[in-house]
Amino acid sequence: MTKTESEKPKRSFAEWVTFSIALLILAVIMSLVGYIWLNDKNQPPIVSVTNKQTIREINGQFYVPFEVVNTGGDTAESVQIIAELQINGKVVETGEQQIDFLSRDEREEGAFIFSQNPRQGKLTLRVSSYKLP
Amino acid sequence: MVIKHQKNAWKSEINDIIRGACGGFLFGIPLLYTMEVWWIGSLVKPRLMMMAIALMFSVVFLLNQTEGFRKRRYSWRTYEALIDTVEAMAIGLACSAFILLLLRELTLETSLKEALGKIIFESVPFALGVALANQFLGESNNNSSAEIYDEQNGLDATLADLGATLIGATVIAFNIAPTDEVPMLAAAVSAPWLLAMIAASLVISYCIVFQAGFSDQKKRRQQKGIFQRPSSETIISYLVSLLAGALMLWFFQKITFSDPWTMWLEHTLILGLPATIGGAAGRLAL
Repeated sequence: MTKTESEKPKRSFAEWVTFSIALLILAVIMSLVGYIWLNDKNQPPIVSVTNKQTIREINGQFYVPFEVVNTGGDTAESVQIIAELQINGKVVETGEQQIDFLSRDEREEGAFIFSQNPRQGKLTLRVSSYKLP
Repeated sequence: MVIKHQKNAWKSEINDIIRGACGGFLFGIPLLYTMEVWWIGSLVKPRLMMMAIALMFSVVFLLNQTEGFRKRRYSWRTYEALIDTVEAMAIGLACSAFILLLLRELTLETSLKEALGKIIFESVPFALGVALANQFLGESNNNSSAEIYDEQNGLDATLADLGATLIGATVIAFNIAPTDEVPMLAAAVSAPWLLAMIAASLVISYCIVFQAGFSDQKKRRQQKGIFQRPSSETIISYLVSLLAGALMLWFFQKITFSDPWTMWLEHTLILGLPATIGGAAGRLAL
């Protein structure tokens, strides 16, 4: 310790403890940012939609749950999902849904509602569009 | 003697940290209720996150060289300001992460990149608030004001308190009530989280007024009101802030009398968190 420093009070042990914790928090955040920077795929979004759960019927309405996931790199904005129900080769009902944001590996869930039984026809779920933010 | 000294060091250190966090809450809470910031955080690229951290560091460092969140400065050396800057940023990151978790804007399902972006971007105003903590509500430790309060009777002081709380809470609630964030947050929240929100509101309000050691704290403890005990004053102020929040929501037609009472409850409790912080600031300012 030099002469000038000894005139002023030292930082207490408590202050060193809080500083170490603060430094640790900052280091963790910075290294996480560094990690995702290095792993940034810079790949366009790959968006897919599936209906994994079973269809529920309540009061004559058919609820078709869906799950949409982005397995690509970048975030997709305004993801449009369309459901079409074909019975005897004709499209009888459609439904659409928009997801605001879907970042990498993010999943969102929802449901389409039909008044006719989707099991009696051919149901297609597809992602029709998205835009890049 | 040594043990006593150590205890004091811990106490003053914890008080310093709480003061910093309270400054952060006062300054950062309006942006925590802004969905555009959540979105920017969700979309931001890692390169920009690093830039945000660097920018935050330099601004907080500059602020720390003149002001800061610590009561007692050992010196004005640069490295002290550097240490304070690291601590201010850590407080900002931790507190904004906590509030984002409380508001369900961060969940276990949130991807790492999105979570980091949100936390970092929300922590910028928070860290600035931490660095400005001492400047908030200025230093006015003259004893004359305390004497004036002694002469007042209990009812006057209580009414002054409630009025100040109402004004502070209304100012903040007025700014947040008309926006779409409250219904958005209400849609995602469940009963246990509402209880956690009540607890957080009470704790933050208590800390700002009685724990953070802002300039007027001595005066506050001397004040003689009907609800003079810190715990009862905190609870009464929270109720007043909730009332202010509910009124503002109704004023902006965000909730109407035909809406179910659960909606009133949820929306009011969600707006209650920033309103209470405003109310606490109002009581300190008067």
